[in-house]
Amino acid sequence: MIELIVFYIFGALLLGAATMVVVMRNPVHAALFLVLAFFCSAAIWLLLQAEFLAIALVLVYVGAVMVLFLFVVMMLDINMVTIREGFARYLPFGLFVAILMFLVMGLVVSSDYFLSDAFSTFSHVREGYSNTQHLGQTLYTEYLYQFEIAGAILLVAIVAAISLSMSKAKVTKAPNPGDQVTVKKQDRLRIVKMDAEGKE
Amino acid sequence: MITLTNVLLLAALLFCISVAGIFLNRKNILILLMCIELMLLSVNMNFIAFSHFLGDIHGQIFVFFILTVAAAEAAIGLAILIVMFRNRDTINVESLDSMKG
Amino acid sequence: MSISNEILLALPELSLLSMACLVLVVDAFSKDPDHRITYWLTQISLAIVFLLVFTSIPDEPRLAFHNSFIDDAMSSVLKCFICAITIIVFLYSYEYLKENKLMKGEYFVLGLFAVLGMMIMSSAYSLLSIYLGLELMSLSMYAMVAMNRKSAAASEAAMKYFILGALASGMLLYGISMIYGLTSSIQFTEIAAISMTSVENSRFLVFGMIFMIIGIAFKLGAAPFHMWVPDVYQGAPTSVTLFISTAPKLAAFAMAIRILVDGLFPLVADWQSILMVLAVLSMAIGNIVAISQTNIKRMLAYSTIAHVGYLFLGLIAGTINGFAGSMFYIISYALMSMGTFGMIILLGRYEFEAKNLEDFKGLSGRSPWFAFIMMCLMFSMAGVPPFLGFWSKWFVLKELVASGYFALAAVSVVFSIIGAYYYLRIVKLMYFDKPDKMTAIKATKQMRAVLTANGLLILVLGLLPNSLMQICLTALAH
Repeated sequence: MIELIVFYIFGALLLGAATMVVVMRNPVHAALFLVLAFFCSAAIWLLLQAEFLAIALVLVYVGAVMVLFLFVVMMLDINMVTIREGFARYLPFGLFVAILMFLVMGLVVSSDYFLSDAFSTFSHVREGYSNTQHLGQTLYTEYLYQFEIAGAILLVAIVAAISLSMSKAKVTKAPNPGDQVTVKKQDRLRIVKMDAEGKE
Repeated sequence: MITLTNVLLLAALLFCISVAGIFLNRKNILILLMCIELMLLSVNMNFIAFSHFLGDIHGQIFVFFILTVAAAEAAIGLAILIVMFRNRDTINVESLDSMKG
Repeated sequence: MSISNEILLALPELSLLSMACLVLVVDAFSKDPDHRITYWLTQISLAIVFLLVFTSIPDEPRLAFHNSFIDDAMSSVLKCFICAITIIVFLYSYEYLKENKLMKGEYFVLGLFAVLGMMIMSSAYSLLSIYLGLELMSLSMYAMVAMNRKSAAASEAAMKYFILGALASGMLLYGISMIYGLTSSIQFTEIAAISMTSVENSRFLVFGMIFMIIGIAFKLGAAPFHMWVPDVYQGAPTSVTLFISTAPKLAAFAMAIRILVDGLFPLVADWQSILMVLAVLSMAIGNIVAISQTNIKRMLAYSTIAHVGYLFLGLIAGTINGFAGSMFYIISYALMSMGTFGMIILLGRYEFEAKNLEDFKGLSGRSPWFAFIMMCLMFSMAGVPPFLGFWSKWFVLKELVASGYFALAAVSVVFSIIGAYYYLRIVKLMYFDKPDKMTAIKATKQMRAVLTANGLLILVLGLLPNSLMQICLTALAH
């Protein structure tokens, strides 16, 4: 019973935070609400006994990805006024699509089928069971191939992000003393012969 | 007890909010990117719920990989955003209409 | 099977991965502004991978890595084509990048990783492998589209591509999560077994499948999920457009076959009706909107949308022959598209791209030979016999009629006649209009030779379509 109450509290917070992400004026505020949403889901994941992923969500997502987001938001100088134009214009359509989608999806997932016995074989937690250990063991044995692919994906992300956003350092104007010393007269001075200009 | 339906409904709601967000925030790419993160979060919620109620670890493994890919995706998305901002001084999607046909 | 044998099965992927890393490191240290070493290393690695795949085409499908990897005839054939097509694409690209001062080593590195993603998709046998391969391919391509950092249009196109691609992945993943929940597995063998036996949860499986099909349709660019295609084709550098419109289509075909046929074949009646809607919409929107385009890349983008519609027709037929027809279709489309974009690159010069249809005016006067090649390509795209494009439409439609979809076949014939108009318009422009200015075509011998071979291949394969069809049939036989 307590579990259910905790679930409802965090679920409501999660939905509230998600709605705020969508409607917030300021991207910084939106990013912070997204952090809240991640925290709430991490709490729900803990209730569902996915401890490792709950912690990873907080550490990796909130700790790294959201910081990256905030960093970019702060770095770009965004004009807040123009960014909100059109929100009201799309509101009816967006709401219509969302509600329609939810009606269909809700109808399907709230079917009694998902309450049947097929979905009640919880992982009965033995004493000394470690979610992290189980996850790690499966990951490094059964999912060896996929693990390698994930490594390649991260490498692509690094290569792409660097090649797209790195700008070549501006050419420094510092003189090279060696070149200055060895410079010859011919390098700097050019004598040209030309005819005298006639009077127009 | 939490039932599977509870969590699936929560995930479905979250999914719909993020889809609505993508429709509503056509002008702001940063919030669009955040909506995509929300969408992946709802998918992850689905996987973890099924994983719990089926007593099967593979769903959690899938979530692990989605988190990895989402991090890579965010990095590339933000890099493209920066390139675009340097070119146009705006991150407004609506002004992305120099091409029409 | 012992782990070392399993690793041997994935040898092409592993060697491509190591070669890609090598190219990355070599490029970081090379000072050559033309990146010649990077380019040649890239081509050599693709050739090696091609040979590795080509010499080990298996008769029987073999599974590895806990049933998440399959080595069968279809994956091998597709991988061979992916490597061969990419080699030619890079050859065209190299000229283009040099000419337009866009040369960057990362182009080839990301290209290799994209090819790796495609190969992983072709031989994926679990939903997780498919998803990871797809993301590896897509992420590399988003970055390649944005590669021209000075072009506002390119970064705009990359952003659209990225956002809609991420949305598609989200949809696909939601579908995968439902399928996982209902079958408690992400492996195709088990998914197929469970969806075969259970009746009570089939409507939930259909619910998950709809999301997955939306994801696939987005990635293939089928209407009504095609919004990104024209903008990306137009905005991206031509060499990237060339890449996007060829090899990834083969990988997307593999993904569709694995998910719909290997995984969810028991639900064939349901996905047939969804694909039918997508196919008719794609053919209609693609062919009709293409007529009003003046930009050649944009026109070809709409033509891609239409071709995806025809691709679905073979899947709708629901038989082995139909799937083979689709495979034939997508391979021949990749070959034609490669030639057409190669031609656009050939006609372009620095700071001038053959952007508009007008740029093809009077090509027969400027270069009769390349006008002829372009004519072959356009006739083939339009589906005029005896070119390759005719046979691809023929095989697909034949199977469609054999499965009893007369109305659909009739509709698609009507649309292909409408579509023929805008291809033939280019032929008219080339042969019957006066050019605005007579500039000679400047391109290297290499490029001319390959483009000629490309055009003649369309003609030769069109005269002997059965050999390629035989390959497709054996690939899908199991």
